[in-house]
Amino acid sequence: MNAADDAVISIRNLKMLYGDKLVLKGINLDVRRGQIIGYIGPNGAGKSTTIKAMLGLASGYMGEIRIFGRDISDGNVEYKRRIGYVPETAEIYDALTAREYLTFIGCLYGMDEVQADRKARALMRTFDLEAVYDARLASYSKGMRQRVLLISSLLHNPDILFLDEPLSGLDANSVMVVKDILVRLAAQGKTIFYSSHIMDVVEKVSNRIILLDSGQIVADGSFEELQERLNEKSLEDIFNQITGFHEHKDIAEKFVSIVQEV
Amino acid sequence: MKDFISLKVMDRLRSVFETLGCDYRVMRQIVQVKLTMDRRRVPTILQGTARKKNRPESEDKNSFVPSLLLYAFMGLLTVPFVLMNQNYMLQMSVTFGILMFLIMSSMVADFSSVLLDVRDRVIISTKPVNRRTMSFARTIHIMIYLFLLTGSLAGAPLLAALFAHGIVFFLAFLLEIMLMDIFILVVTALLYLLILNFFDGERLKDIINYVQIALSIAITVGYQMIGRSFYVIRLHIVFHTAWWQAVVPPFWFGSTFEWIMRGHASPLLILFSTLALIVPIISFAAYIQLMPAFERKLQKLSSNEAMGGMRKRAWLQAVSRIICRSNEERAFFGFTSVMMAREREFKLRVYPSLGFAMVFPFIFIFNSAWSNGLKDLASSRWYLSIYLSALMIPSVVMTLKYSAQYKAAWVYRTAPVQSIAAIFKGTIKAFLARLFLPIYLVESIVFVATFGIRVIPDLVVACLSMLLYAVICFQFTRKSLPFSEPFQVIEQSQKYVGLLLLLLIGVFAAIHFVFTLIPFGVYIYLFLLVLLNGAVWAAGVGFRSEKLLYDPTPQLYPVRRGE
Repeated sequence: MNAADDAVISIRNLKMLYGDKLVLKGINLDVRRGQIIGYIGPNGAGKSTTIKAMLGLASGYMGEIRIFGRDISDGNVEYKRRIGYVPETAEIYDALTAREYLTFIGCLYGMDEVQADRKARALMRTFDLEAVYDARLASYSKGMRQRVLLISSLLHNPDILFLDEPLSGLDANSVMVVKDILVRLAAQGKTIFYSSHIMDVVEKVSNRIILLDSGQIVADGSFEELQERLNEKSLEDIFNQITGFHEHKDIAEKFVSIVQEV
Repeated sequence: MKDFISLKVMDRLRSVFETLGCDYRVMRQIVQVKLTMDRRRVPTILQGTARKKNRPESEDKNSFVPSLLLYAFMGLLTVPFVLMNQNYMLQMSVTFGILMFLIMSSMVADFSSVLLDVRDRVIISTKPVNRRTMSFARTIHIMIYLFLLTGSLAGAPLLAALFAHGIVFFLAFLLEIMLMDIFILVVTALLYLLILNFFDGERLKDIINYVQIALSIAITVGYQMIGRSFYVIRLHIVFHTAWWQAVVPPFWFGSTFEWIMRGHASPLLILFSTLALIVPIISFAAYIQLMPAFERKLQKLSSNEAMGGMRKRAWLQAVSRIICRSNEERAFFGFTSVMMAREREFKLRVYPSLGFAMVFPFIFIFNSAWSNGLKDLASSRWYLSIYLSALMIPSVVMTLKYSAQYKAAWVYRTAPVQSIAAIFKGTIKAFLARLFLPIYLVESIVFVATFGIRVIPDLVVACLSMLLYAVICFQFTRKSLPFSEPFQVIEQSQKYVGLLLLLLIGVFAAIHFVFTLIPFGVYIYLFLLVLLNGAVWAAGVGFRSEKLLYDPTPQLYPVRRGE
């Protein structure tokens, strides 16, 4: 098997116009099975746009996106059957109960209703949420909803996972569980696209880090490689150095001095 | 989830959908979820009537069916027009006019959130659901809604048509109603498209909010008119067809009856009838073409580009400086002013009653002028009817404690608020200065124009009484921090209090009347009221209920599981 065949996702020269602004300026990327990719970058760098393009939500991009070896621009949506997604905005139909929502999502992925219900309930049980399985999502706390979203993205046993801030609102114990889940999934050969602003988690979870800045990939490699190349200790420092952000001390100082004015 | 009858009907057409390239199983799932969510919403037409406090949410508490019954009742409004056996063109145009208004405004008021659900993109479009299936699901969902809505509204007039005018009339009516539905659907969608082209999602939501307000006013007025509308049967109206009617769609639909049933084959009538047939069909074709553009524009809904609203309201600050004494009071004055202007749910509940408060005094005056003549009116004491505009005060004072974002009220407790009286004073003052007084001023101008400048002292007296009345209303209704509770139906006990308060406004008017019988009585009363108002507003009598702030059993965080 050569490298191109092995690529689950392969992106060539992806560009995207938003109005008259180029938000993606030619992304090239090959992702293989079993990789956990920490996809990071400042706000507005184009992370969500890339993910949306891969999910077929953004029309009108230039370049080529191949997922499982097929070009996705022809409108065939079958490839989505093997993708799971946790959106950053945590959108959910909160008038539904967890049972209704999860079986619905399962069915959209082509699962049998009974099977989806059984599996959803079992997954809810492991997250300690079985008691509220039939309560409306509107009554859930943020952390509970986030867990439901995670379940909904994994119910159909996908091969690729797109996770956008998947840990937001979760307590430290749940975070540990989820991190371990991700590592195990990757070990089984699943590919995980992990997008977050929390650098310590990205640093620990991912085995490949891609840093995006103003629509371009500016760094790509394992954490250790980046550490060595840039001679920085933490991912946070690497991030600051590459994105050219050095004035954090000045800004903090100014902020505090305004606070003290009263 | 329930297996809805409409879904079972749809099942019979399964093979049709499948030949059209639609994944039937998935489409059925989507429609079922959408219908389930619809059942859990409270429609505008039922706002404030359904939903008892603390009632456990049953699995499928259906507020949709009661709303259909109410629509069926509203449909009675058109029956007399169908029955009057005169100019078919006129009577059916009026019927279609009423139906179109009610259906379209209900569509906008209640179905917009469905039509414009941005969550669909993230939740459904990321799944292996092809575009055709999705647009089928959406169209079917809208059609089910339109069918139920139209069915209940048009049921009574259709039956009336069948019995009064026979089967041909009935069938023509039925066909035209279907064409009308298509027309309404397309016009609504194009309207959204147009608005989204120029404005962002927030502005569209504002416009929808105003349609909701208009609908609830129309429902209330229509409710009053149903009984009287039957008088039209006896009326004789002369009506001529004219060119300008071509731009008013209800006339297209009305013309067919005059042409076919009465055999008046004038060119205009034939033209209008052709329009009734062709325009819906053409616009539907256009709609299908524009669907993708519409979906793209929907993205705009979640974005909020408008940066406006931060204009410095200098005059507002000046006003608050004059009428508020402490900083706290001023803060709540400003806060309440903004909330009253922006919170859509609040506007939906309060603005209709503001409209009525504005109109009621004039209805009384017109009635009297109708029976006694204009001459006597100017010298009469009918100006006392301005007290009717105080009817809005209790309902607004009671509504001020509710908000859709009641949870944000935690700030009251974490902030070191010195005096709770200041909170309430600031809030009530904001209501009086921003909503009540502007309306009162407008009314006063009309009153002075009608009754002459002699009533100015009386208007001042009435105004001072109402300021006092507002405080009494506040005193006797259940108090809670402003915008700190979720919207719900006013409790039973509060309803009786509200009723008593309405009677009280009559007492105020009566006292005023007695003073007008004494020479210079009005000025004496005026002086007394100034003193009383001074005591209440300056000294803060009647605003003290400090315990609310420290009350450990709060209404602040009601646990509402399953809501």
